[in-house]
Amino acid sequence: MKSRLQKLGCVVALAAAVAGGAQAAELNFASWGGAYQGAIRDAWLKPFAKETGIKITEDTDPQVAKIKAMIDTKSVAWDVVTENSARLTRGIKLGVFEKITADMVDQKHVIPGARNEYGVPSEIFSTLIGFSTKSFPAGKAQPSTFADFWDVAKFPGKRTLQDDPATVIESALIADGVAPGDVYKVLSTPAGIDRAMKQIEKIKPHVAMWWKNGAEPVNALGSGEVVMALGWNGRFQAGIDSGLPIQMGWGNTVAQVGYFVLVKGAPHREEALKLMNYMISPKNQAEFSKYIAYGPTTEAAFPLIDEARKHRLPSTPERMKSALFLDSEFWEKNGPAIVERYNQIRAR
Amino acid sequence: MAHLVLDLPPSSLAARRRSSPALLAALPLLVFLLCFFVGPIAGLLKEGFVSDGALSLANYRHLIDTPIYRIVLGNTFTIAFFVTLSCIVMSYPLAYLMATVSQNVSRLLFFAVLLPFWASALVRTSAWIALLGKNGPLNTLLTSIGVLDQPMAFLYNFTGVMIGMTHVLMPFVVLPLYASFRAMDNTLVQAAQSLGAGSVGIFNNVVLPLTSPGVVAGGIIVFMNAVGYYITPSLMGGPAQRMVAELISYNISEELNWGLAAALAGVLLVTVLASLWTFNRLFGLDQLISGSSGKGASAAPARRTPGGRVSVVLGVACAIFLLLPIIVVVPMSFGTSDFPIFPPPQYGLRWYTSFFDDGKWMGALFSSLRVGVLVTVLATLLGTLAALGVHKMQSERKSWLDALFIVPMSVPAIITAVSLFYLMAPLGLVANSVAVVIGHTVLASPYVYITVRAALRSFDPALELAALSLGASWPEMFRLVMLPALMPSLVGGAVFAFVTSFDDVVMALFLTSIRNRTLPKLMYEGLAHDFDPTVISASCVLIGATVLILLSNMLLEQRKGAL
Repeated sequence: MKSRLQKLGCVVALAAAVAGGAQAAELNFASWGGAYQGAIRDAWLKPFAKETGIKITEDTDPQVAKIKAMIDTKSVAWDVVTENSARLTRGIKLGVFEKITADMVDQKHVIPGARNEYGVPSEIFSTLIGFSTKSFPAGKAQPSTFADFWDVAKFPGKRTLQDDPATVIESALIADGVAPGDVYKVLSTPAGIDRAMKQIEKIKPHVAMWWKNGAEPVNALGSGEVVMALGWNGRFQAGIDSGLPIQMGWGNTVAQVGYFVLVKGAPHREEALKLMNYMISPKNQAEFSKYIAYGPTTEAAFPLIDEARKHRLPSTPERMKSALFLDSEFWEKNGPAIVERYNQIRAR
Repeated sequence: MAHLVLDLPPSSLAARRRSSPALLAALPLLVFLLCFFVGPIAGLLKEGFVSDGALSLANYRHLIDTPIYRIVLGNTFTIAFFVTLSCIVMSYPLAYLMATVSQNVSRLLFFAVLLPFWASALVRTSAWIALLGKNGPLNTLLTSIGVLDQPMAFLYNFTGVMIGMTHVLMPFVVLPLYASFRAMDNTLVQAAQSLGAGSVGIFNNVVLPLTSPGVVAGGIIVFMNAVGYYITPSLMGGPAQRMVAELISYNISEELNWGLAAALAGVLLVTVLASLWTFNRLFGLDQLISGSSGKGASAAPARRTPGGRVSVVLGVACAIFLLLPIIVVVPMSFGTSDFPIFPPPQYGLRWYTSFFDDGKWMGALFSSLRVGVLVTVLATLLGTLAALGVHKMQSERKSWLDALFIVPMSVPAIITAVSLFYLMAPLGLVANSVAVVIGHTVLASPYVYITVRAALRSFDPALELAALSLGASWPEMFRLVMLPALMPSLVGGAVFAFVTSFDDVVMALFLTSIRNRTLPKLMYEGLAHDFDPTVISASCVLIGATVLILLSNMLLEQRKGAL
């Protein structure tokens, strides 16, 4: 009986939401699971729910395709989703996200390189080298730059790279001597793409696996399957914190931004904006890195972060200087063709 | 049938009278599949011929012009072929062993075959990865006893894919093969032995012909399943083992390139249908679905030949192969680390607490069970009725129906799932599990259909005629004669149906929402973007439950025996 009542309640709530005025203070949030979503929950969702009384239901896997299907079929279930810049760009092209204006969320204090009209930047994370301290212990030569990753003579052993070419292609060119600032200029010519692909073919015999989720490179370093990985700093840090023999090389990084995005036709729009405003305030931005080693998107948060924690974060002013920001426009335009070539040369 | 008609004129009348009910019996599944399988998929395939809003062959031309797609299609069929082969080769000794040992040992072996079925394919894959790694237990063992000089790469290559997929799909061959062995008349083996046949001769001339129908049926199930696989090869293989279903899924969910995905789906579908057609020409589709035609096992097993003794050893090895990941998963579930390490450096209940304390896991478990039961009932009903109907049919079109009823399991689930999503989401059927139940029923009904159809083929029509001629009505005959004979196959089909639903990830990803997601979907979420060890403890709970159910069943039977 109770469950039938609950079901009825859901239907009524849904009807009310469709009718325009969602009365129940509720919010549906979707992100990418794991330690990342865990950190969002602890740093932002839980305290926000406590403060406002808004009940948050969490989901995972907010693929842009799924959001598009929800909108097409008028069954939008999510209000706020998190996307990386490549997915955000794709979603904007498909028209599935709502524009965030200044009177909806004030973002004047946000790092300019991270801003986007359609999202509120939640954190900055980096792709960099992680290596096994068992293979390259302190006191001996330790890898730090992308060139070191490609240098199998100086740093012998198996490696792992991402199965998706974004960030790998950029790293390959930087390893080949291209200045970070010129990477996308080089990549805009067919010769530049050829050059990057040659780099992939060069490293291919030394790649034991091509990882698909962010935990894999950490597991592979921990188990000794590989000695060096190109992966995300927050994931490596989680491995280090749980005692795995891993260290990061900060010589080169490719930075990416994560965004909180408002889904078009979100049933709880008001609550969604409240959450975005809560998340972007400097005080709450400073909270996030307590739970995962991703950096704040506003410099105003740094005074609130102690020195020890700052060392773990990719978005400190000095680290930002040498970082290359991933160009999502480039990937939106050239992604499919590069993926096909990248898959092809590795399939042989 | 023709000479039967001549011999028994009254029954031919009965047969003719039954031919329209026969059609009626097949109708529900036919209509069901037309609405929820053929229709939606035709809609999707149409997309393959549309480019920039106009009719064109651009998507297909792109497939031909870009080498990667040829490579991936080649991979797909090579892998599916070799997986089928290795499933068959490994099933023979195991099924032989199961059929020739005492009932208690046989039950134990059954256990070994069925148990992995209940641990999500995702979890078994993670267990293999922990087991086969460069510094994993297997390599450590092989290097320490001197078999290998240095660790061998079992993972992220062809070997890894073969191990993972064979493990997941082998039960589909073992079970029908076991039935064939049981049905085999052992006096034939004894006769061959007394006439001086050696092990090889007995296998080639007696065992192989008598078991081939079971093997072909199992093999085709494996092949069709394997062709549409992608999660296991994607986790245990490398870029050189990429399969076409992965590209379909990638183009739909990441690139939103429906045209290309539809074209790939089209190529896959055509190839599957073509191989089905070839089988039909070579063996006849009827032959595929034919059951074992023995007299039922004689209890006294034949004296083991030397070859038989070798088979026993191999059979035990295959059983160990099936159980290995389960053995690894249990200690791993009691680890406390955030990462899958075997053996775990520290033991504790951390991930069990996480399973039982978090409402979402219990909710997902309940949702999975509910969906599974509904699907089992629906698929068993539809599949059995259709099998009865087609069995009674006289027409030549029978093989078309056979093909239609088998094909849903060979179409990659992602294709069916996405087609169904666009059909059902606007009707609000995703949030209340109707969509996922329908989707799973599409996937599961072929299993019931095949097993029941096979049993019907080996069912002696004389029994039916005898009952009818002795005055039983058709329903009475069905209840008293046919149903008991069909029961084992029916139960087998129902178990397959339940497992299909209970283990499915891909359909659930699209056809359930946050409120009714199933356990495998939640497990997938725990593994796809991260590693949540709760997934492992969750599957250990499932394994534990299965062990308890099977054990109590065993004990009850033993008690009955004692009384």
